[in-house]
Amino acid sequence: MSCIHLHVHSPYSFLDGASTLDRLLEKAQALDMPALALTDHNRLTGAIRFYDKARKLGIKPIIGAEVTLEGGYHLTLLCKDLNGYSNLCRLLTGAHMSNRGGEPQIAGGMLQRYCGGLIALSGCSRGEIPALVRKGDVGPARKAAQFYKEVFGDDFFIELIHYPSRKGIPDTHRLAGFAKEEHLPVVATNNVHYAEMEEYTIKELLNAIDRNISVYRLENYRTVEQYLKSQDEMASLFADCPEAVEMTEEIAARCNLELELGKPRFPRFDIPGGETDYSYLSKIAFAGASDKYGHLTPEITGRLERELDTIRTLGFCSYFLVVWDIVRWARERGIACLARGSAVDSLVVYTLDISNVDPIEYDLLFERFMHPLRYEPPDIDLDIDRRRRDEVRDYIYGKYGTSNVSCVATINTYMARGAIRDVGKALQLPHEIIEEACRGIHYLSASKLLEHADSLPELKQSQIYRQPELAKFFNLCAAIDGFPRHLSVHLGGLLIGDGELSDSVPLEWSSGGDIISQYDKDDIERLGIVKMDLLALPTLTVIEDTLASVKEGWGIDIDLNSIPRDDTKAFAMLREGKSIGTFQLESPAQREMAGRLLPNRFEDIIVSISLVRPGPLKSNMDKVYLPRRHGTEPVTYLHPGLENALSETLGVILYQEQVLKVAHDLAGMSYAEADGFRRAMTHDRTEEEMEKMRDSFISSCARNGVSGEIAEKVFEQLAAFAAYGFCKAHAAAYAILAYQTLWLKCHYPAEFFAALLSNQPMGYYPSRVLVAEAQRAGVKILPLDINRSRDRFTVEGGAIRVSLSQLKGMSGEAVESILSGRKPGEFTSLRDFVLRTGVSQPIVESLVRVGAFDSLGTREGLLRQVPELMTLRHRVLKGISPLFDDVRPDHEPFGQAARIDRKARMSVERELLSLSLSAHPLDFLRLGNEFTRMKDLPSIATGRTVRIIGSVVRYQTPPTRNGNRVVYVIMEDGTGIADVTVFGDVQEKCGQVLFRAGWLVVRGKIQRRGAKGVSIIAEDLSPLSPDNYAVSTSGISPTF
Amino acid sequence: MSKLIGEPIKVHQDRDAMVTAFIWRKRLYRVLEVIDWWREPSEWWEGKAVRLFFRVNARNSSSGIYELYRLGEEWFLSRVLD
Repeated sequence: MSCIHLHVHSPYSFLDGASTLDRLLEKAQALDMPALALTDHNRLTGAIRFYDKARKLGIKPIIGAEVTLEGGYHLTLLCKDLNGYSNLCRLLTGAHMSNRGGEPQIAGGMLQRYCGGLIALSGCSRGEIPALVRKGDVGPARKAAQFYKEVFGDDFFIELIHYPSRKGIPDTHRLAGFAKEEHLPVVATNNVHYAEMEEYTIKELLNAIDRNISVYRLENYRTVEQYLKSQDEMASLFADCPEAVEMTEEIAARCNLELELGKPRFPRFDIPGGETDYSYLSKIAFAGASDKYGHLTPEITGRLERELDTIRTLGFCSYFLVVWDIVRWARERGIACLARGSAVDSLVVYTLDISNVDPIEYDLLFERFMHPLRYEPPDIDLDIDRRRRDEVRDYIYGKYGTSNVSCVATINTYMARGAIRDVGKALQLPHEIIEEACRGIHYLSASKLLEHADSLPELKQSQIYRQPELAKFFNLCAAIDGFPRHLSVHLGGLLIGDGELSDSVPLEWSSGGDIISQYDKDDIERLGIVKMDLLALPTLTVIEDTLASVKEGWGIDIDLNSIPRDDTKAFAMLREGKSIGTFQLESPAQREMAGRLLPNRFEDIIVSISLVRPGPLKSNMDKVYLPRRHGTEPVTYLHPGLENALSETLGVILYQEQVLKVAHDLAGMSYAEADGFRRAMTHDRTEEEMEKMRDSFISSCARNGVSGEIAEKVFEQLAAFAAYGFCKAHAAAYAILAYQTLWLKCHYPAEFFAALLSNQPMGYYPSRVLVAEAQRAGVKILPLDINRSRDRFTVEGGAIRVSLSQLKGMSGEAVESILSGRKPGEFTSLRDFVLRTGVSQPIVESLVRVGAFDSLGTREGLLRQVPELMTLRHRVLKGISPLFDDVRPDHEPFGQAARIDRKARMSVERELLSLSLSAHPLDFLRLGNEFTRMKDLPSIATGRTVRIIGSVVRYQTPPTRNGNRVVYVIMEDGTGIADVTVFGDVQEKCGQVLFRAGWLVVRGKIQRRGAKGVSIIAEDLSPLSPDNYAVSTSGISPTF
Repeated sequence: MSKLIGEPIKVHQDRDAMVTAFIWRKRLYRVLEVIDWWREPSEWWEGKAVRLFFRVNARNSSSGIYELYRLGEEWFLSRVLD
């Protein structure tokens, strides 16, 4: 006889399950359990991965959920088959949809409607029948039992849970007695919440976090018995009721759910009468090809036919039509919308106008995207103008119906910071300890925290991780590492079902009011449901805004598809490293690469985007490619047969598409086989698998007359590359956007920066750095002005006017109120402003303080008037005071009050605008000659030691070739930007400063890589302190 | 009725870890029968282990019902039941 656990919670019960799926399944396997159920609270989030993992271990997975019914009662439901699974999805969806913001609850009527294929167990102590029997309400218990019996028939069981306790198990005995009297079958469960008994502590900790109480207040909920007990333990517990244990086997035998995983399911697309999906798609693709190419060559026609044939064979025609329709709809409304990723490899995608990259011009391979040997749902990701992304989403909801569309969920899991905060709170640790423990932690896993605390310089010097009394605390943090915390909305993912989504995916509300799947994107992919990635790309918004601004200011309609791809001025700017603000080219690594690559053609941008990635840099690809690019080293090929594939990149493998070409040209593989070969090499593989692939590749090459030695070397290069290679199609798509932003920045800097500043946060740098960059490009920045500023940064006579929205605390409603109040004419006084708008007092005061009313009076004088004017507005609104009742002059004549000095202006700008317009903080320090300003760095000789002082823009820790951490610090001092490299020895020495100091003094040596790129190799870092500068000009120590 | 004790005791166990006798206040109590057992959670945040309780019928000069528990390696007499 087997005892099978039919009521099991995992961490996907969200703060109520303490053992991972792996631990639960491993224990079940160790205990020789042939099957195991998963019954998380009101969700199936863990179900798909549980199903897969269990099958791999040879354990029969039983999918279910512990659902909550009306009245808060629990009920355990198990799926017998696919119908049961669908019904459970519908029930869970209904429970969540009808209780937005509250606990999901299933109405009795729904249970009756969607009971097919489900087995019901009466639940834990919070089940309706157990609760009523415990209270002695036999009559209502009998009525409830009758209801469940009517709904589920022979698939309803009384769930008996034996937890030995001081008072014995009277409740269980009473429940067993009730079942006997009512002739209801019984089943034994253990309401499992963890694999091993010791893990009850983790469950209690999670419960405390969930209830937002300290662990010391958990008295009413405590037990240690909810572990995955062995069959012997269960048999012993139920020695007086063996039939309850036997029933677990019987129920498990009834559960035979076979999920259809991995089979793509597409939404239906309405096509005109007389057409098939394929014929309609072909018609549109060929019409698009004629538009784009004019004359269709045999190459174009042949490739289109080949791609369309593959799409038809794989059954993906409707998917392409769905995407085409979305993009067409967006374009018709002027919404920028473009494909990214490997989809750009497809000519069909190009001719459907989903992408603007011509795969023939750029020699892209369709098979990298799709081929008959790769039976997976296609993935066409769309970048959309951020401001208008929701319009596109709404169109999809409208077209396919709200019940067929939902957002995809992301499972937010615990990392070090979150764990420290939540566990610390549950243990009632002092706030200061929690803050100190979090300080300096960036994206670290909680389980590796103590390990990192011994190795990372910024954590090493903190004693908090070594305090013995906190060891238990950090162990608890590690114990919940990776545990799901809550579901949120995936940034771009949208599901479109081939019918009602809730037939196959349980749905719920997100905290923001979107409907989301309970599965994340990986599980959605396993289920085969089409996921559209609609990614909000702010760069597209910036481009649109820049073009609109150019049209408004210059009357010029720019067609970015027609701009020259070899603009000398734009490339010169790129080579000089002046690419801050551009798409993909602005990072320090990209700016440095520009100085080494010295790009002068569009293809260089594709190369640069592909090269500046962890993999290629770790493998020194740049060191091979760049000398060839500059002609200082010859272009060679290991074999002449490689020239066709690699000539575009001078004999170096840079793109994933080239792996396919090499495997095709040298080993004679078809492109589809070659993509399989590429993908196999990118996945984790054993030595044995690798050897097999090597032998196969070498023998295939031999058939083409390639020597074993050469084939071996080529294989090694492909193997090394495959792990990190970049998709050329994606690089090309992004290179187009990158070049467009570079061109706009070069030729219309004011319009470009105004658009960029209006769309923050985005990109790599904060607004203050962008403002400084604009100023260096010769663009003047005009202050906030109550009669000039608009909701966005705008261009006024070649200068940029700061927007109203930039003001700290400014709300959308306040901006709207100011703009509508200004419509009849400019504000003539502060009084006029207050009476014509509904802006709150704090915002009015901030506007005055930052100088928005400088044209109407002095700041001090106006500030004094604000309270009285607010009272006046109140009285006017109440009809108490006539508008012209107060005659007090509301501004002092200019010059009478003290003019605010530059430093005070700067301080208030930094406080309220996060910008430094009037001055930079360093302007007020009398720096000694030993300090170098950042604008002068390019003129200093390589190897010379410099000292710089500036504010930290950003810290970066990219992966390195040897695995040793290198920290890059981007700094600014108002005159320019400096890229500082901090190697391990300096990290050790200056660990206390790293990631903590906002202002740094750096001593280091000038380094040059290539002709232009300048950076500083740090020798010492220290925080800014009075020791670093002589005297402030105002005689006051600066506070930044 | 029961009387709370909470005093340390010495416990003898057989090979199967069953309690056979205990010494309380220097007097030996022979366990005649283990009536029940259960486990209770502890203040784990203070590093305390799960408490394993036994309710036994034990005899000294006369027989009585006693509740013993183990906390880590130590044993305690929790209460005496009338």
